[in-house]
Amino acid sequence: MTTKIKDVLYPIAFAVGLILIWEAVVRIFDIPLYLLPAPSDIARVVDGELLRNMGATLYEAVLGFLLANVLGFLTAILFVHSRPAEKGIFPLAIALKTTPVVALAPLLVIWLGTGYWSKVAASMIICFFPILVNSVKGLKAVEHEAWELFSAYKGTKAEIFWKLRLPTSLPYVLSALKISSSLAIVGAIVGEFVGSNKGLGYLVLLSSYHLDTPVMFSAIAAAAVAGLILFGIIASVEKRVIFWQKVDEV
Amino acid sequence: MAAISSLAGSVRERAAGAAFDAGGSAGASSGAHLQTSAISIQNCSLTFGSVRVLNGVSLDVRSGEFMSILGPSGCGKSTLLRLILGLLRPDQGGGITLHVPREEIGIVFQKPVLMPWQTAIQNIELPLNIGPQRAKQSKAERRERAEWTLELVGLADFRNHYPQQLSGGMQQRIAIARALAANPSILLMDEPFGALDEFTREKLNIELLRLWANPDTKLNTVVMVTHSIQESVLMSDRIVMMSPRPANVSDIVQVPLAHPREAEMQELPAFLSTVREIRKQVKAL
Repeated sequence: MTTKIKDVLYPIAFAVGLILIWEAVVRIFDIPLYLLPAPSDIARVVDGELLRNMGATLYEAVLGFLLANVLGFLTAILFVHSRPAEKGIFPLAIALKTTPVVALAPLLVIWLGTGYWSKVAASMIICFFPILVNSVKGLKAVEHEAWELFSAYKGTKAEIFWKLRLPTSLPYVLSALKISSSLAIVGAIVGEFVGSNKGLGYLVLLSSYHLDTPVMFSAIAAAAVAGLILFGIIASVEKRVIFWQKVDEV
Repeated sequence: MAAISSLAGSVRERAAGAAFDAGGSAGASSGAHLQTSAISIQNCSLTFGSVRVLNGVSLDVRSGEFMSILGPSGCGKSTLLRLILGLLRPDQGGGITLHVPREEIGIVFQKPVLMPWQTAIQNIELPLNIGPQRAKQSKAERRERAEWTLELVGLADFRNHYPQQLSGGMQQRIAIARALAANPSILLMDEPFGALDEFTREKLNIELLRLWANPDTKLNTVVMVTHSIQESVLMSDRIVMMSPRPANVSDIVQVPLAHPREAEMQELPAFLSTVREIRKQVKAL
C-alpha cells in the first residue's frame, strides 16, 4: 500500500516541483509572454472554449480509434483464416503504414470535408496498423499443443476461436490499443491542422497566427491530457481483461 | 493395497502372470487368449517432405496394459501418439484400428498446456465443454465430474488457483485430471513427466499408477512415451523400444515386476536386470 502511494506521490511531487521552477525562472529572468508564458499565465487562459475544443478532438480521436480497432481486428481474423487474403492485403497495409498521415490529411479534407470525418479518418489510418499487426501475431500465438488438445477433443472451429485464439490474442490486442490510444490524438490533430474550425489542432494553429503563446501552451497541454486520459482508460481495461498476467506478480 | 489390485480384476492378473515368467516369452503365450487389443497399428509409415519419421511400425496395444514407448529424442515416438489420435495420417498402406470409441482416448502432453485465463477447475472442465462432449452432460454434471477428477489428483484445495500460481508438478496433475475428466479408457501420454524434477517425477509416476489401478475410473490402458529407461521399467507391463529415425519397433520387453508398483522396487534385482538389458539394447541400436 505504501509503495502504491509512493508510486502516485513521487511523480506528482516531481511535476509540481518542475512547474514551480518554471514559474520562478520566467519571473526572475522576465521572459516575454510570447516566448515562454509562466504556468500561471497558461492557467489563466484555461476556459470553456479550451474544453470544448478538447472535447471535439477527443470525439474525433475516440471515434477513429474505435473504428480502426474494430476494422483492424476483423481484418486480422480474416488474415489468420485465409492465407490469400493475408498475402494480398498485408503489403497494402504496410504501404498505408509507411505513407505519412500528414501527407494524406489534405486529401482526406478534400474527400471528406472540413467536418469531423476527415479527422476521424486520419485517426483511423494511424491506429489501423498497430492493431492489425498485433492481432495477427496474437491470433497466431496459440501453442501447437493447445491446438492439438482442442483438436483431440473435437473442438469446433468456433470453439477454437472463442476459447483459445481470442483469449491468447488479448495481451497482444491490448498492447496495440495502448500504442494507438495516444496515436489517435495525433491523427485527429493532424487532420485539424489541415482544415477545421474547432479542435485542439485548430486552436494551436490559430494561436500561432495571433502569437498568443499562452493559449497555444494550454492547447498543447490539453492534447497531452487527452492522450493521457485515453491511455489511462486502456491501461485500466487491460488490467481487468488480462488479469492472468497479473496473477504471478502477486 | 491388496484390495485395489484385486478390484482391478483380470487386467492385473495378466500383468502378474507376466511377472512370474521373468523370461518374457512364456508370459506372452500364457495369457494370450485373454488379451484383446485396444489399439492396433499396422505397418504405419510417415513421411514429412523428404524426411521419413516412421518406417512401417506395427504394434498392438493390449487392453488393460501399461505400455511405454522408449526411444531416443526425435525418433518419432510422439508422432506415433499423434497418429493414434488422428492428428496425423499415416502414409498410404498404413492403418490404425481403434477397438474403443475415439472419445475414450485421452491425451496428456509434456507441457501441461493449461489455459492461463482459467482456474484449475475450469481447465479440467475444458474437454467436457467442447466438441461432441458438450451436449452429453448438463452444466452441473460437467462441473461435478471436473470436481471429482480434481479430487482424484489431490488438488481440491487449489480449485480456484490459476495455473501460474501452481508448481510444475501440480500443473501436470491438473493436465492429467483434465484428461481423466473426459472419462477415457485409454490414456496417451507424451513424456508427461519429462519436464519435472526427479522427486516430483517419481511421486507422480506412482500416483499415475494408482489412478490407472483405481477401479472408480474407466481408465485401464496407458500408452506412455518416455526417454527414461528407469521410468519405463518402473511403470510398464511392456516396453516398446524404438530405433532411431526412421523409427521402427526394435523390440518389446516384458517387465518382470508385480503390481502394485512401489518406488522401492527400483532396488529389486528384477528391476535392475531389466534396466541393464534395455540399456544394452539401446547401445546396440
